[in-house]
Amino acid sequence: MKEKITWLDRLDAGRDTLGKRLAAKEIQLPTELIAGGFFFLLAIVIYIIMPNQVAVADSDVVNGRAFPTLLVGLMLVFSLVLLVQEWIKVKVKKQPLTTKKINLLVEIKALAILGILLITYFLCRITNLFVIGACFCCLGFLVYFRCRKVSYYVITLTMAVLIWAAFRFGLNVSF
Amino acid sequence: MLEFIGPALEHLFTLENFLWMNLGIFIGSVFAAIPGLTVILCVILFLPFTYKMTAIPGMMFLLGIYCAGGYGGSVSAILINTPGTPHAATTMMDGHPLSKRGRTKAALRIALYASAFGGVFSALMLLFLGPQVAQVAARLGTAEYFMVCLFGLTIIAGVSGKSMIKGIISACIGLLISCIGADPLTSYDRFTFGISRLYLGLDLAICLIGLFALVEILSKAEKKPGPLVLDTEKMNDKGEITKEEYKRMLRPTLISSLLGVMVGIIPGTGASEASWLAYDRARAMSRHKEEFGKGSVEGIAAAEAANNAVTGATLIPLLTMGIPGDGTVAIMLSALMINGLNPGLSLFTTQGDIMYAIMIGLVFVNLFMLLQGQFLTKLFAKVVSIPQEILTPIIVIFCFAGAYSVNKNYFDVGVALLFAIAAWFLRKLDMPPVPILLGMVLGNMTETNFRRALLLSNGNPAVFVSSIYCIIFLALTVFAIAALVRSKMKEAKTDKRGEE
Repeated sequence: MKEKITWLDRLDAGRDTLGKRLAAKEIQLPTELIAGGFFFLLAIVIYIIMPNQVAVADSDVVNGRAFPTLLVGLMLVFSLVLLVQEWIKVKVKKQPLTTKKINLLVEIKALAILGILLITYFLCRITNLFVIGACFCCLGFLVYFRCRKVSYYVITLTMAVLIWAAFRFGLNVSF
Repeated sequence: MLEFIGPALEHLFTLENFLWMNLGIFIGSVFAAIPGLTVILCVILFLPFTYKMTAIPGMMFLLGIYCAGGYGGSVSAILINTPGTPHAATTMMDGHPLSKRGRTKAALRIALYASAFGGVFSALMLLFLGPQVAQVAARLGTAEYFMVCLFGLTIIAGVSGKSMIKGIISACIGLLISCIGADPLTSYDRFTFGISRLYLGLDLAICLIGLFALVEILSKAEKKPGPLVLDTEKMNDKGEITKEEYKRMLRPTLISSLLGVMVGIIPGTGASEASWLAYDRARAMSRHKEEFGKGSVEGIAAAEAANNAVTGATLIPLLTMGIPGDGTVAIMLSALMINGLNPGLSLFTTQGDIMYAIMIGLVFVNLFMLLQGQFLTKLFAKVVSIPQEILTPIIVIFCFAGAYSVNKNYFDVGVALLFAIAAWFLRKLDMPPVPILLGMVLGNMTETNFRRALLLSNGNPAVFVSSIYCIIFLALTVFAIAALVRSKMKEAKTDKRGEE
């Protein structure tokens, strides 16, 4: 038991050191520029793939492409407006770009959480046993939160099994 | 109307309905009291439980969550100066100062009574206005319906988030997502990329689990969740409200309830807008303006009455035209449609008994909320103290089980995860998610009416200004855009002045 605690302490200390280093690293994200550029490109991509993805009959007066084309057009126009607004801001008004501070530590933590979610998903999918994924999810998050209270592990694992049972027997969802 | 009341009461007064109603109220109160957990998240998580139910108990359960969410947020706002839900921020302005003066129980009681009054008032408005609006809606043709959808989407895009342009782009994304699957008019597949499962389109509940629930889990990376302790010892005061205070509460409660209903009917607006508007109005009309921000009973009553008065009003456009008043009721639409209840006049005529049972049920939801609030608020506060370490995995398991249970396959869980990643990326770019949700809900209706109107007019776009209703909604849309642009410009100027 003592050895286990030492190992956990060492792991936590390592995470703390890495965390401190990452917490200091910040990136300024030009949100309007990225949003404008990304959705402009996305609209073009959707427009290009539309003939392959949306089948239409020649006889249609207003076919299945009409509405998506209208939406793509709107997306193109408003993405351009975003880009032009930023261009005016920088070039004409001589103001800085609209940015958002992104902390590297936060993003790495989000990736770790995403990792837990993905492993849970693949465990459920591969084993076809939801309860296994659910138990992993509980353990994963408790380790992520550095929880050392045994009672929390017992409570969450019990809850995981109870939720599975509620869906399995209450709602007749077989997984 | 009267011919439906008898059968409706017969449908409503069952033990099952009242049990689900009260369970919903309890869950909603607890969820809303926990800062960071929203009512929309709660409704998404518990939606799968309604798939096995019939329409009335299912809706009673969801309406219980929805209405109690209006009051629950005020518990943490009053006790620890942290609003459980965004709209409870208004209640916090006076609720917490009153609590600091040793009158916690009184503040909670004022919030509860005002909430219940606003809720009942709103439910009665739904009961009387709903059928009338449905009759008007029945006269709308395809072009008019398209213009109504356009108006709703414009408001939603405009009021969600800081940038109207980003709101419109988000709404376009939602509408494009709704295009995935079979073409509603020809049944040709669209944007399915050869994946047969996509032929039926993406299920709303699955997308919402990713867009609103799982993304909240990813956001746990942003801050370490501290323990939330609501000191229930504070609630040991007598909670007495004087006659004079009751008198002072009456006028703001009434006016705020009316304002809440008016705001709630407009698609895209919600409890937050209503409670701030009502709070400002109450302050302007009060004879004790100096007390606002320092524990004014009028302030608490105005904010709470308005945010609960929204609940019934948001259902008016939803039940009559299928246009949700806010994001949460948009999800309830799935619970209705799964039981074959499609919005429109027929809902009030051929299925009138069920519809009236739901609307009368909403009155009882608010009355039971009053009862639970009166006796269980201490318990809510205790349950709220569940550590985040326990709560987070439980929410994830609920999300995964909920996503799986819709079509009983893991493909949907993968889709929910993809939506969570997309939502995280969109959050980084400050893109509001609510217009995406409303775009997805309104997509099919907007497209079908747009194309049908054009087909009937042989492709002539003048069809969209061909009737008085079209012109009214077009004028409303233009007016809304102008008002929104003006208010955004004002906001930008104020921000700039603040920075200087």
